[in-house]
Amino acid sequence: MTPERPTGEQHQAEVVELPVAPRATDIALDELELVYAFIYARVGNRADAEDLTQQVAMKAIPRLREGAPASAIRGYLFATARSVLGAFWSTRLGLSEAELREDLALASPPPPSPSVDRTETVQQILSQLSDNYRRVLELRFLHGYSLKEVAAEMHSTVGAIKVMQLRALRAAGKVHPPE
Amino acid sequence: MNGKPENRVEKIIAGLLRGRRLKLRGGDAEEKEAILAAARLAGARQGPQRMHPAFRKRLAEQLGNTAREGWVTRRTALVAGLGLAAGAASGVLLGRGGGPETVSTEQVIEPTDGRWIDVGALEDFREGQGSRVTAGGVGAYVFRTGAKVSAVSSICSHLPCELTWDAADSHLLCPCHPAKFTHDGKPAVRYSLSALSKVHVHVTDQGRVEVLGTA
Repeated sequence: MTPERPTGEQHQAEVVELPVAPRATDIALDELELVYAFIYARVGNRADAEDLTQQVAMKAIPRLREGAPASAIRGYLFATARSVLGAFWSTRLGLSEAELREDLALASPPPPSPSVDRTETVQQILSQLSDNYRRVLELRFLHGYSLKEVAAEMHSTVGAIKVMQLRALRAAGKVHPPE
Repeated sequence: MNGKPENRVEKIIAGLLRGRRLKLRGGDAEEKEAILAAARLAGARQGPQRMHPAFRKRLAEQLGNTAREGWVTRRTALVAGLGLAAGAASGVLLGRGGGPETVSTEQVIEPTDGRWIDVGALEDFREGQGSRVTAGGVGAYVFRTGAKVSAVSSICSHLPCELTWDAADSHLLCPCHPAKFTHDGKPAVRYSLSALSKVHVHVTDQGRVEVLGTA
């Protein structure tokens, strides 16, 4: 079992490493960043966003074909994300698919950058509310004020602000986000 | 007081603004529009989010495992996917066919100043059935196998909810989300979930079952 000696020519040959095509799972991991941002923007917290992103990965990855283009992978991941989010809200709040239509609306997958400006979207929603409703939600959610601080800022009581906050959210829930 | 819708919704908002997961109860469905709007506003306040590095790493490891193991055929994937979707909607869960991933290493509850609490005679525990016991501040499910016993925490490892024993399915079920665990605390779901904490338990010479709990 003597190892085969390389010939002079082989010894001097340069080894050229060909670029390795990215695996579908590698592409999917990057695309899952977008899915995570999409889900986070709808559930508003990291723990649920991680759980749901993981569910999307577990459901979608085994069905991805090697060699599939990134655009196809993204489309499939987002379709799965919509289904997973739909099940999440359906289980917790009994929401039907029709009620979630606007919230999950994404006719086509988002662009490669996760810069779908949700803040701008939220501002557009808030702009359709009355001054007081907009103010209470801006202070609470965008500026992080406590109820007490909002009450002081708006010269009101905590109880009244709590009721106003609920009414403002109900009104915001009726505003259809722009597509 | 907490029954008022403005209080219930405020509680949800306060949790979201502290970065906590959505904790919803049955009656919250009445305010679904407000809660959806609150979640959307909370999700937008810091702009687009990226995965936490630790989560991305965990996900990458899982995806790596998926690729290496060949995982499943298209058909079983389809069945599993449909099962998961159905499970999420109905609370019915998949079996352990695909092999669940456990996030963290198993933990054992070691109460400060713990003491052994008598929870009943061995013969009172039915073979293979989970029995809910309380040992001071420690809630546990005790399982008997012949003359031996084992115990796991009665609180879900994922959400702080009290598990229930499903005798027909021989699993511990979480009422708060679609998760279930085997008698030894291992998750029986396809997505990543920590195992239940173990609880110290033994049988005395007198045939009594004792759980390490608190005074």
